[in-house]
Formats: sequence, C-alpha cells, structure tokens
Amino acid sequence: MLDTISASPAQSAAQLGWTGVVRFLHLAPRAFLPMRAAETVTLVAGKGIEGDRYMIGKEEGFYSHKPEEGRQVTLFELETLVALKRDAGIELGPEEHRRNVTVEGVPLNHFVGRRFWLGETLLEATRLSVPCRHIEEITGKAIFDPLINRSGLNCKILQGGIVRVGDTVRNAA
Amino acid sequence: MSARPITTVKTVVTGIEEAGAGIKLFTLADPDRWELPPFKPGAHIDLHLPNGLVRTYSLCNEPADDTRYVIAVKREADGRGGSRALHDDVGVGGVIGASLPRGGLEPQARIARYVFLAGGIGVTPFLSMARHLERTRQADFTLHLIVREEVPLAAHLGSLVEQGRIVVHRTSRSGRPDLAALVGECGSETMVACCGPESMIDDFERLTAAWPAARVHIERFVAPPPVIDPDAKPFTLSLVRSGTEIHVRAGQTMLAALQEGGIDIATSCCGGICGACKVGWIEGKPVHRDRILSPYERERYLMVCVAGSDAERLVLDL
Repeated sequence: MLDTISASPAQSAAQLGWTGVVRFLHLAPRAFLPMRAAETVTLVAGKGIEGDRYMIGKEEGFYSHKPEEGRQVTLFELETLVALKRDAGIELGPEEHRRNVTVEGVPLNHFVGRRFWLGETLLEATRLSVPCRHIEEITGKAIFDPLINRSGLNCKILQGGIVRVGDTVRNAA
Repeated sequence: MSARPITTVKTVVTGIEEAGAGIKLFTLADPDRWELPPFKPGAHIDLHLPNGLVRTYSLCNEPADDTRYVIAVKREADGRGGSRALHDDVGVGGVIGASLPRGGLEPQARIARYVFLAGGIGVTPFLSMARHLERTRQADFTLHLIVREEVPLAAHLGSLVEQGRIVVHRTSRSGRPDLAALVGECGSETMVACCGPESMIDDFERLTAAWPAARVHIERFVAPPPVIDPDAKPFTLSLVRSGTEIHVRAGQTMLAALQEGGIDIATSCCGGICGACKVGWIEGKPVHRDRILSPYERERYLMVCVAGSDAERLVLDL
C-alpha cells in the first residue's frame, strides 16, 4: 500500500509551487554560547558556516564529538515559533532554537533527501533535526515535547556562497 | 572533531585583581569575547578547576554586563582546595570550564523593596543584584553588610556605601546588629535575602519563618550536613536513556550508586544547594531534600546528591 501513498517527485509538497524566504540568520562559535544574529553568513561547501561551531575542521559544538555531514547548516521554520506560542504558550525567539537559518513559507519536513536553493547556495537535506534536552538546559524553557517532529532540518552544503536575510528559498528541481 | 563531548562553557581568565582581605576578583570571558550564556542577578556558576575540582562561585557582575563572568574568591587556607587552586595556580590567560549559570533572583514586578543581609564575603551574590537594581531602578533596596572590621571588595562597594544603599555593620566596634530589626516587618511588597555564615543563616531562617516562601531567599556557600535517614530502604534506579538499572543500597546516596555504576554525573556541593547534579525524573516518588528546587521544578527534576525514593523504583532521564 505504501506505493499508493508515497508521493511521486512531481506531486510531492516539496515540488509543488512555493517559495520561501530567509527571515533570520544566527551562529555561535562555541557550545553553550548565545546565538548571535547576522545579516549575512558565508556557507562553505562541504564544511559549514564560517564562524559557526559546527564548521568542519573547527568543531566546538555540543554535538561535535558525534560528527555528521548534515550538521553543516541547520534550518528552522518561523511557523513553528508561531505555533509554540499559539499551542503551548511558549515564547521562543529565533535566536533560541539554535538552528542557523529561520525560514518562512518552507515545508522543511518534506525535504529530507532533497535539494533546494537557499539564496545562492545549494543544500541537500540529510535528516530532520530532533529536539534535545540541551536546548531546554540553555533556554530554561520546556520545549522538548512541543518541538517533536518540528525541530528543523539538517543539511549539507553542496554549493557555497553568501546567504542574506531576505533571500529566497526555492526548490532545486 | 572533539574526542569527548563539550560539557562546559570555555572561558579564559582575562583579569585578576587583588580586592583586599585575602580576596581576588577573577574575570572570565569567552576567547573571542562573545556574549556568555545569560544569568539572573546573584546567579552562580561551577568552575571546573585545573586540578579537577569543581567549585561554585557567585557572579558579582550584573546580567547586562554579558561578556564577562566576575567572581570574588577568598583564599581559605583550610578550605576544600578550590580557593587555593584559584589563588595559587590560575593566572591571566588560563582556560577554565564553567557551567551554565544557575539560581539567582529574578526581579519581580510586585516587589518594591529588597533587603539584603550579607555576612563578610557573603556580599558577592548581592553585588550583582545591587548593581542591577541600581541601574534599572526597578525597586528600592538596602544591603546590610555585617563584617568584623575590614569590608571585603571595598573598592567595588564604595559608591553604594556613600549613597547609603549599603550599610556596613562592624561587629568589632558595635557588636552584632539586631537581625530582626534589619529584616523588619513582613510587608507585601518586600523581599528579604541572606547570605553569610551558617549561624547567621539559621537566625535569618528563624526570623523569616512566617514570611511567604516566595519573598525569602537564602544563598548558601556551604552545604548543610547530610541528613541520615535511619528508615531508608534500598531502591532501584531505572535509567531510560542508557537502558541501565542501578541498585541503591539502604542509606546510600543516589549519586554514589550512579558513580559506582560508572555513570558520569557533574557534582559540586554534594549537599543539595548548588544545583550541579540536577537530573530529570520521569516516574516514581522522589524524596527531594535539596534546598533550591521550586515546587514546579520538583515535578520534573531532582538533585541526585541528596534525593531519595519513596518507591522501590525511580525512573531517571539518564
């Protein structure tokens, strides 16, 4: 039966008509440090974000002892922040979820295994992010349960470049 | 790639200042002067010292001063070794791991006046609060500082003393002040807090026993002696993340049993006051015994150094 419910490439949500936008960019050079907002970040193909804790070769992140190709850049939906406030009464800022890129209008959960453009950079999504107790420890907010299944997306960088707030996010068909 | 998980905030000692009375002020910062994890006024951090000790210190600077952690350390020649290590072995440029800040006082909108009682070096947690309140003008405050003769951190307290915000009581000249008079009557918009020697805290606890708990705050530097429960029964810890079961013998601490089982737990005071060993619990009937978790926090967390179990099985988020 799975054959009948699995989306064909032409019909998948990731390939239906949509475009999203980059709303916030954040990075931190070391584990536990507050994420700092940036207007632009530089993505390096196969490595990560310049100055970020998960840049391959300069790892100082909380999960750096568990290397992962898809941690080069991480994304999060702005809509999840809205839902957290609406459904759980929790105010969470874009600097608090600890993913690098906050996007609006992008169905991140549909992108695992697919490629898409983030501004001039080309990404390939490797897996869904999962919430972790580490975020609760840092924020002091009970967000583990409300973030299950909507905790963002891990990606590797196929083509690097500069990403700016306001850049378009679009499918790489 | 790091071979081991990073469990502390990496800081560098950027300044060491002699502050009189055997006290040194240490300034810690991120290697790139990035903002450090935020904290509440009067919060404390654990320092993972080069000799392997983990010790807890109050932050003296205020939360808005967010690229530094400033701690005041009095050298205790007969102490447990933390202050000696910092005074004798740590220099500018040294790298020290710090925990995330814990505790402190969240200024509350309905509190119009704070009364702080500090004994000697116990002034440190209130320095942060005093600076915060002085800058924000959110509430009135008076800090009563009780010392034998010499005022610790005098250079940092001077302006607040001149303004009358800090009142110094020298016991060598006028004897011990009447704590009851300093604490005053319980007012609906007043909060009182105390940090100092154990005898002073005991007196303070007696004086404020009838106050609402939310308007009384105590900072302890030394953990109270452990409570030995003669009726303690053995129980089993079930660790959900590691899929392990650990047996806790009658009278044994949960912490000791976990360490025997090879579970790595961060600890510091081992007496339920610092919060370093906070662990989430999922199922069971914990007996808390700590001095810092709020009723709300106790629904989800316990301190493994002092907590016990009222049921045969306790499930932990480890």
